[in-house]
Amino acid sequence: MKYTTFNQKSVNPLAEPMFFGNPVNVARYDQQKHDIFEKLIEKQISFFWRPEEVDVSRDRVDFQKLTDAEKHIFISNLKYQTLLDSVQGRSPNIAMLPIVSLPELETWIETWSFFETIHSRSYTHILRNLFSDPSSVFEDIVVNEEIKRRATDISRYYDDLIFATQLWQTQGEGIHTVDGQTHEITMRELKKKLYLCMNSVNALEAIRFYVSFACTFAFAERKLMEGNSKIIRLIARDENLHLTSTQHILNIWAKGKDDPEMAEIAQECKQEATAIFLTAVEQEKEWADYLFKHGTMIGLNKDILCQYVDYIAVQRMSAIGLEAPFSVKSNPLPWMNNYLNSDHVQVAPQESEISSYLVGQIDSSVSGDDFADMEL
Amino acid sequence: MTHLKDEAFHIDVIDVGCAQSSSDKTLLESLEEADIDIHFHCREGFCGACRTQLLDGKVDYTTDPLAYIDDDEILPCCCIATSNLTIKVPL
Repeated sequence: MKYTTFNQKSVNPLAEPMFFGNPVNVARYDQQKHDIFEKLIEKQISFFWRPEEVDVSRDRVDFQKLTDAEKHIFISNLKYQTLLDSVQGRSPNIAMLPIVSLPELETWIETWSFFETIHSRSYTHILRNLFSDPSSVFEDIVVNEEIKRRATDISRYYDDLIFATQLWQTQGEGIHTVDGQTHEITMRELKKKLYLCMNSVNALEAIRFYVSFACTFAFAERKLMEGNSKIIRLIARDENLHLTSTQHILNIWAKGKDDPEMAEIAQECKQEATAIFLTAVEQEKEWADYLFKHGTMIGLNKDILCQYVDYIAVQRMSAIGLEAPFSVKSNPLPWMNNYLNSDHVQVAPQESEISSYLVGQIDSSVSGDDFADMEL
Repeated sequence: MTHLKDEAFHIDVIDVGCAQSSSDKTLLESLEEADIDIHFHCREGFCGACRTQLLDGKVDYTTDPLAYIDDDEILPCCCIATSNLTIKVPL
């Protein structure tokens, strides 16, 4: 079906599936099929922040004091985060907007992607402060074998879906030959690709990102690179919302609350979805190996990071009804919670230098008793 | 708007222990006070880390939960007990 930017056919968005129905025409939010996406948009917009508001100038001094092993961990981690957000800043838009059928979901995807671009800009903000010329760091992202290996897997499912969608929208269902290669395009196959892509995105935002967050916050635990950690906290809060959205999409499908064919596909592709998560887990562990190859840092080493990967994977997989073949009962990095708690996130410039600024500062809970002695 | 009396309810956590609820604390805070280990991240209802199975009882949400929860699940970080509860936390 050809994509149109304004579908002139009258459609009832309440009867459309999330994806692969009619293209959206009127951007209306007065009625919603899945109102969760509208709520996510509101929440996400309330999180708005600008990298420039966070003062990272002290990080430069801290960075000079790091050991070579620690510098390797810090910069490699930042490169990986840059890669993840480079992908996320464009891919949901390109892969999902051409096939989305609900106005609230369309706007959520756009809002989601927009925030990823804020993240991308913040990495430049961090690196510009650390190096007078950060080019070599950026340039290494496309040549570094360790990063490339994971980039391949991250972009694969998106690329597959995007290519199949292009064929379908220009040539329709059927067998098409492009550059000597034949591709069979059916609606079922397209939906399968979408399902796997959504799992891969969830694994990216729910597992891969968290491994990188753990590295960032391990520095902050030692009161190092606190400006950077402040920014990553804001990013973590956004990512938390993003992974919630893909969990919703996957669960809405699996529970048969949207397109019934997607519920069948969710059942049929359970093994493949599990494999996507387990591959992500393995790759993150290999990455931990690379990070700590020159030595560890206080508070974090390869083993603990690998345990954390397992721990977070169990949580994330169970949230979408997948079973992990391993179990980790307690959080190996309990201090992570302090950084992921949204109460502790702040952007005010005067507070950005000291990450402990908020601790014990405000008690925002008000009980009825507090007004007991008030008279009108 | 519901007017909650300062009423404490009994919270039975299967295989773990029990806690007392209080109307000025979220369920998560009540559980933490009773030293019951429970996962959490955002404490604001959008991450889903504290997802807990509600076997019996009723809760009221202080903020609209945004994280995905199944029909028999609750988010302790943003709800308050309005009756005695029986819950099961992931171990």
